[in-house]
Amino acid sequence: MTVSPILAKIPVMIFSRKTFSIASVAVLLLGLVWIYASRTAPVDPAAQTLSQPRKGFYAPDFELTTLDGETIRLSSLRGKPVILNFWASWCVPCQAEMPALQKVYQEYRAQGLQVIAVNMAFQDNQNDALAFVAKHNLTFPVPLDVSGEAGRSYLIQALPSSFFIGSNGIIIDVIIGGPIDEAVLRSQAEFLMKEAN
Amino acid sequence: MLPILQIGPLAIQTPGLIILIGIWIGLDMSERQAKLFGLDGGRIFSLLAWMLGAGLIGARLVFAASQMAIFTANPLSLFSLSPQLLNLPGGLAAALGAGLAYGQRQKLPLWTTLDALSTPLAILAVASAVANFASGDAFGVTSNLPWAIDFLGARRHPSQIYETLAGLAAAALVWPRPVGRLDAWLRAAPGLRFWVFIAASALARLALEPFRAGAELILGQFHLAQVVSWSILALSLWQIFRRGWPAPKPSAESETIS
Repeated sequence: MTVSPILAKIPVMIFSRKTFSIASVAVLLLGLVWIYASRTAPVDPAAQTLSQPRKGFYAPDFELTTLDGETIRLSSLRGKPVILNFWASWCVPCQAEMPALQKVYQEYRAQGLQVIAVNMAFQDNQNDALAFVAKHNLTFPVPLDVSGEAGRSYLIQALPSSFFIGSNGIIIDVIIGGPIDEAVLRSQAEFLMKEAN
Repeated sequence: MLPILQIGPLAIQTPGLIILIGIWIGLDMSERQAKLFGLDGGRIFSLLAWMLGAGLIGARLVFAASQMAIFTANPLSLFSLSPQLLNLPGGLAAALGAGLAYGQRQKLPLWTTLDALSTPLAILAVASAVANFASGDAFGVTSNLPWAIDFLGARRHPSQIYETLAGLAAAALVWPRPVGRLDAWLRAAPGLRFWVFIAASALARLALEPFRAGAELILGQFHLAQVVSWSILALSLWQIFRRGWPAPKPSAESETIS
């Protein structure tokens, strides 16, 4: 590289060539020391017990009664991948994505995929929820969150909200809002099934 | 954290909105600042628009190629607006390819163009850190320091705020100014401003990575991002050294001696 004429005219450099070389080597050595000093032990997922509605954490547990009157506990599904969806009958994007969710459930159910669609019953009307389920021919369990406790533990701020939970109970992905494209649901289902096997 | 901005019945994804604002500011700034580098603002804007477009198309096509069965069954999903159907490395490769092709076609000087893009890139890095703060992603490890924040059931380092501040510092460092010794030096050789930005960003990642939770490890204990950042830092310091303090030409006398 030739010396730039502008460079030659600058009377005082920020650093001299020598100072910069020494500073660079010092920074790189300090960097190596910092890498070593800040090394960390790998986190054992089995030892992790914290449950939070966030990727990388155990999915918060809940026990709810479904529209059919059955009791469902999320932790009882451990060992199977789960798509957990929160919805309400008045929510337009929920209406739009539900057929895709049903389709994906039908396709992957035999391979062990579970779909749980929690109705935010404390913000919904049970008759409307029943009509919604009948209209879309939903065959997966639809628990009713009457007290809003499950919604609160998942920090639901917008509907629909979907949590993709691995067979070990750890959340793999979260999608807030919708409607979720069928291709997204399929690719998530594929990933969950691959992770489970 | 504010992942959703509720305006009446409308629920807006705050992180996405922040990234869009960052891209918009970056595009606007790159067009305006191009003149300071003797470049045509319109061409720089077009370059970024091409890169953005190619990046999105590339990201979708690479994702579709990795999930061929899904897209063969429903080809219209190629046009889905879902960001989940994008492959980031594929998008970056396509954007870089389009940028190089456009730059060559328009005869844009590579290093001067990269200098002109340093501040917009820094702004985008700041937007990304703020978006992470809004979504709660890239959260910190637990801490008892007085400025730790309550998040996910523990007091944690505000890692996204550290990264925002680091991004702002990098932006301030490479921001073009009409006067000043630092800016005169940064203008002295093409590519110098760009490599200073890369060095500052790599140094920030190297320093801040241990405060971020969920790190990917290498050799069972070292932070992968730190190792990569250290390598980038070494390369960029070497580039700064080469450009900022070029070796003097050997004199005729020394040539005869050797």
